[in-house]
Amino acid sequence: MNSAMLYALRDVAGVPSHPIVFLVLGVLTFALHIAAVHVMLGGTALALANAFSRNPMRRRLAAAMTTTAKIAVSVAVVLGVAPLLFVQVTYDPFWYTSNVLSAWWVVGFIVLLIAGYMALYFFYGRNHDLADPQHPVRSGWSLLASLALFLLVGFIMHVLTNQMLSPDKWMQWYAPNGVIDPRGHTLHDYNAWRFGFFIALAAPVTGAWLYAYRRYLAAGRQADAAYMQWVGTLAARLLNFGGIVALVFLGAWMASLPAGLSGFSTSPVVLLTVALLLLTVALPALLGQRLLQTSLGYAPFALGAVALIAVAALREVLRWSVLKGVYGYDVFTYPLHIDWYSNVLFFATFALIGGTTLAYFLSIAWKVGHTPQGQVYTPSPAIDRIGTAALWLIGLWLVQFFVVGFIVWAR
Amino acid sequence: MDWIGLYPTWYEPGVGSGWVVGIMATIHVLASHTSVGAAILFAYLAVLAYRRNQPQLLDYIRKYGMFLLVFSYVIGSITGPGIWFTTTVASPRGISALIHSFVWKWATEWVFFVIEVVGVYLVVYLAGRVDQRTHMRIAVIFGMASYTTMLIILGILSFMLVPGKEIWFTEGGYLNGFYGANTFAQLAMRTAFMFTMTAVVGGIVAARITDPAFKREISRKLAWLGIVSSLVGAALFQWYIRSLPETAHLVMDNRLPSYFQPAILTVLLGILAYFVMTLISSRTLVVWGASLATVSILLFGLWPEEVARESIRKPWVAGQYVYSNQVIGRDVPGMRIKSEIPLLESHGFLKTQVFLPDNLRVVTPDNMLKVGESLALTTCSNCHSLSNTGMRPLHSYFGNTTNVAEVEAYLRGALATGATLYMPMIPLKPEEAEALAVFIVNMKQPQAAIAHIQHKAALAQADPAATSAASFHEVR
Repeated sequence: MNSAMLYALRDVAGVPSHPIVFLVLGVLTFALHIAAVHVMLGGTALALANAFSRNPMRRRLAAAMTTTAKIAVSVAVVLGVAPLLFVQVTYDPFWYTSNVLSAWWVVGFIVLLIAGYMALYFFYGRNHDLADPQHPVRSGWSLLASLALFLLVGFIMHVLTNQMLSPDKWMQWYAPNGVIDPRGHTLHDYNAWRFGFFIALAAPVTGAWLYAYRRYLAAGRQADAAYMQWVGTLAARLLNFGGIVALVFLGAWMASLPAGLSGFSTSPVVLLTVALLLLTVALPALLGQRLLQTSLGYAPFALGAVALIAVAALREVLRWSVLKGVYGYDVFTYPLHIDWYSNVLFFATFALIGGTTLAYFLSIAWKVGHTPQGQVYTPSPAIDRIGTAALWLIGLWLVQFFVVGFIVWAR
Repeated sequence: MDWIGLYPTWYEPGVGSGWVVGIMATIHVLASHTSVGAAILFAYLAVLAYRRNQPQLLDYIRKYGMFLLVFSYVIGSITGPGIWFTTTVASPRGISALIHSFVWKWATEWVFFVIEVVGVYLVVYLAGRVDQRTHMRIAVIFGMASYTTMLIILGILSFMLVPGKEIWFTEGGYLNGFYGANTFAQLAMRTAFMFTMTAVVGGIVAARITDPAFKREISRKLAWLGIVSSLVGAALFQWYIRSLPETAHLVMDNRLPSYFQPAILTVLLGILAYFVMTLISSRTLVVWGASLATVSILLFGLWPEEVARESIRKPWVAGQYVYSNQVIGRDVPGMRIKSEIPLLESHGFLKTQVFLPDNLRVVTPDNMLKVGESLALTTCSNCHSLSNTGMRPLHSYFGNTTNVAEVEAYLRGALATGATLYMPMIPLKPEEAEALAVFIVNMKQPQAAIAHIQHKAALAQADPAATSAASFHEVR
């Protein structure tokens, strides 16, 4: 597969903005997506590890993590749409080929993800009283099935991403020994270290999430000191041990890169990633008691999110390096067909409507979380004004849709 | 030498890749239309609850919302990307054409999608935990954001069938591709039918209401919503039909399955009768009845609609420039897109296709059947099953003939010249047409195909030079 063939696979319509725009958005949205995936995996695993205990603290955590995981799946799915969109724009020759070569698994990804999510809901529905250790756990198998299915769909996604990077093997996979096999039954290529790294990261990210959870409870005076202490110890273990394991996997992944890319493992993006991950692991020790007593309790997760942006950038730079360095494909030469209206509409919608509405929604959710059960929360005038702005902005968006549309249609 | 950027082909012998997309899309349409309609219904009920001080309406919103969390926000939100996944493997250049023209529209939809997902959790879980006015405002934002997702995707779906304005082909411009008569006709029709689905699915939840008076109130609201939206939708369907391009009408008249119209009409009348029944007596609103009505819409309403939508696009799969077999079949100067047909006419598929083993690039008696199979995969299998099952089995389109020359004549005549309206122009080189004909005949009667190959092999053995020049020469 030479570079002329790869360029021929590009979409003939070109791209409506410079490729760097899509790559940057891809990095940012992938970081958000993978953070939600890690909380989903970590939450499900913690629920599974603690649901069968008679210890009240463990059962309380299991209940909280079941709810967390349930919402995290939604968030992971919705946030995953964006990087999936952007990879199709910039790396269409690679993404589409990889998908077609394992088509059966691509369709399976959807079915298995629905099954995993349903299994989690099933467990949740069967165990509304999970926090009470006197109640037996029902249908625990569904929680195990859910975690197994989440890991399996993660592996499928890993393989699809990994296969993109090996155009020289595509023909052998599609037509082994010259005989076309169009069934797409096979997952052709994986890198255990890379997959292990992304899965292992779930531990430190969940540890950082637990610190935030603990701080949230402390701010709302919703838990006793013993539970806080226990959650803090668990968070520290996950962050420290999980962080080290993830770094070991990262090192092994970098060591497994082809000889031509040996310099990549000491490149600035890799060093920055390692530094940010280490800093995230060390941060709780540096902050000490302030983790529990001040809003700095959210800092490990915030810093972890920044570290995940570095991880996402590492992944993107590696992809660019492999495809440009080894296969001569330069994504930055994608023909441009700039469309300013759609560019402006997206960024305005993202910044104004997305920013305002989510600020309104999340402020209310946050405040309600700190309102004692049985009391009704009424937002402050300031929050109300954000809500009013959100309403007007979406209304304005609807009006422009029809006004512009009718003008174009009538022209 | 230029290459044609065709991807590898995924072939699913059981039902065909097209039906895999269709099944995914049908499920998604039910889940997503229901959720958008329900979001607007929730906004309306939340306003009523606030203005009339009827907190029990919030309880219905909460229960319907809980149901939707699984029905629409598990199944619907995963099958949405699922359509991308299935079209990626079934029709990569088709989905690529849409992605590259409308990436920012999809990205904009994604912003609203995020708002929608956060919004549904708030609408469900904050009922009773925030003051009614705030809950109403959240519900209204949620409803408006939901509807924007439909506005955006409808423009893209319309472009799939036909770019909004003819001028798009010469001048390009995203707005010209997005907005047109079909965009608004389809939007209006789907908006109406989405409320029908919302009313039917909402019945599953309403059937569990234990307070008879409240059940009667909700049942009547849903019934009126269903009756009005069904009738308005049926009227708007006529507008939608009139907004279709002429080729679509020809396909509808000649190629749609015979069960299409009766199925749509039957399910429409059945659903109307169902709503009238629940309007007269809320006791007839039961879980199994509402579930049956939902499944009926899925199987007899949405499935034929999705099949028809796929059929009437023929021979195109996107924007009237990407053929269903993935070849770029038309110049689009406005987007600097060049048709690939001239290159294929000059050099054929075997020399220009990226994903073809080298041993199949030149036709010989030894590989003729395999070359034919590879050409069938590339040029036919997107729409025609290569087995006895699945959609439109290829071998059944050639009557009773098992004569390779007759099949080849059709391929080189009607097909290679683009003379069949709903079929892509497939400019096969003579030796490619022969190989494909052998493969097609082999599906019907293998002995006839083998006899033809043996005949060609004998000719080649008798006069290798002449045969090579006449039949097996390099096609470029």
